[in-house]
Amino acid sequence: MKPYLYIAKTKVLSALAYRFDVISSIAIQCIVVIATSYFWVAVYGDRQSALGVTREQMLTYTIMSALLACIFTANVENRVIQSVRKGNVALDMLKPVNVFGIYLAEDLGAIAIALCQNALPLLLISCVLIQVPTPSSVVNFLLFLFSVSVSYLINWLITACFSMLAFFVISIGPLHQTKNVLIRILSGSIIPLWFFPESLQRVLSFLPFVYIYQLPLSIYIGKLGFSEILTQTGLQMVWLLIVYGVFTLIRKKAFSNVLIQGG
Amino acid sequence: MISSLKHHFLVAAHLIKMSIQRTLEYPVELIGWLFANPLQFVLGIATIKFVIAEFGTLNGWTFGELAFLYGLAVISHGLSVIFFVQTWFMGSAMLEGEFDILMLRPMNVLFQFFFRFFYLIGITDLIPGIVIFIYGCSQIHLVWSFINILMLISVLIGATLIRGAVFLFTGSLAFWTKSRNSFLFLNFAIFDQTTKYPLSIYPRVIQMIFTFLIPLGFIGFYPASDFLDKGNIFNSSGTMPWVTLVVGFFVFWIVTRIFRRGLRKYESAGT
Repeated sequence: MKPYLYIAKTKVLSALAYRFDVISSIAIQCIVVIATSYFWVAVYGDRQSALGVTREQMLTYTIMSALLACIFTANVENRVIQSVRKGNVALDMLKPVNVFGIYLAEDLGAIAIALCQNALPLLLISCVLIQVPTPSSVVNFLLFLFSVSVSYLINWLITACFSMLAFFVISIGPLHQTKNVLIRILSGSIIPLWFFPESLQRVLSFLPFVYIYQLPLSIYIGKLGFSEILTQTGLQMVWLLIVYGVFTLIRKKAFSNVLIQGG
Repeated sequence: MISSLKHHFLVAAHLIKMSIQRTLEYPVELIGWLFANPLQFVLGIATIKFVIAEFGTLNGWTFGELAFLYGLAVISHGLSVIFFVQTWFMGSAMLEGEFDILMLRPMNVLFQFFFRFFYLIGITDLIPGIVIFIYGCSQIHLVWSFINILMLISVLIGATLIRGAVFLFTGSLAFWTKSRNSFLFLNFAIFDQTTKYPLSIYPRVIQMIFTFLIPLGFIGFYPASDFLDKGNIFNSSGTMPWVTLVVGFFVFWIVTRIFRRGLRKYESAGT
């Protein structure tokens, strides 16, 4: 555990060194959350609720989604791509710890800093300008916390799987963007999927994206009944196992490949 | 005068030709973006459609009208990517001393800087923009008269210049901050949120900021509201497309002054 804690700590220190990056990332998140809130206020107009969700719930959803986006930033992708390109991956693999353990520890360190540096200012600004995003109940809040941790791991593992493409192809530039757009939109992080057409919703329910943002957020705002929460969280756990299985499979392939590329 | 113009034209044409050749050296990347970029815009407009299907309108704008606005904005985004992509990475260019080469040559630095890259890959943004825009036009039954086409061209030139000016401005800040960060993603976020929806959904203060301080309202909202007879704070009836052009040239001119001032502080790289 100790080496991982040390890695997490160094990440915290290096994140503090870039103040322009911090200011602009807070500004970006504020702009998105404020704009999306006004969008919802405008479309709701005089209507109190739509598809079982009130305007207040929708605004809470928007704020919480932005907060999740702050902590869901996984740097593992850039990390792997850079280390493969520069050959540092060989050094990482020589260290007496799990390579992806290092990357996960770095990302968890980054969460600690993102919580204070990005999520907290964003939450304060949202409370002042939009509304206080209160959970529908204490139980829902606790279930939300559990669901979010599973979401984080699913998101991280998908990103990690993606990063390993770097072992097989030289450049993954456009694919990286495609993945980000797909996760952002198909996970309901901006527009919840309950607005999507029926048929599309059915297709998306067979994909893991919906369990990254929409499930924890729906739990938080109290859109789902208790039994529904249990079945959905169960499915979320199943997805975590599936994604982890895929991850180990790709990692095996990738690591045998790195030897071929040599240095 | 004329020979100087001709000289500049030839240099620009040659630089553009080299840029295109350079891009075509890596066709796979172009094909990759041809998939990735349109996806983003198609999904963006699709989600708006889903929400409008439930609620009917957004502040009185129907989906066809929103598609017109969105398409118009994406087209000028694509054009700004093609012409102004070099301003995205000005911070790095500055810190690595790349301006040295431009300053040693006997030609205007800004001119060289602009034509150094002609980013063909921007057409991958342009194509979905045109498709969404044409869909919007058919929905709102836009008449393709000579004057309307002329007004659209005027809007697109003005809007592209406004976008370019914003990137050149945040890029020029690096002359003073000596930071690699050119606020690229901040610009993207602001452009995205102010041009995707009608500006009228925001409170008065925000509308004023994006009209007079950072005139992004002229990229899509004001001209589109004229085409669609939506009414806006100016009560302009059909003059906005021309105003956009003027605003575009004006802000671009101001920002080039800032660039020149910054260039005096340029210190090249440390090595």
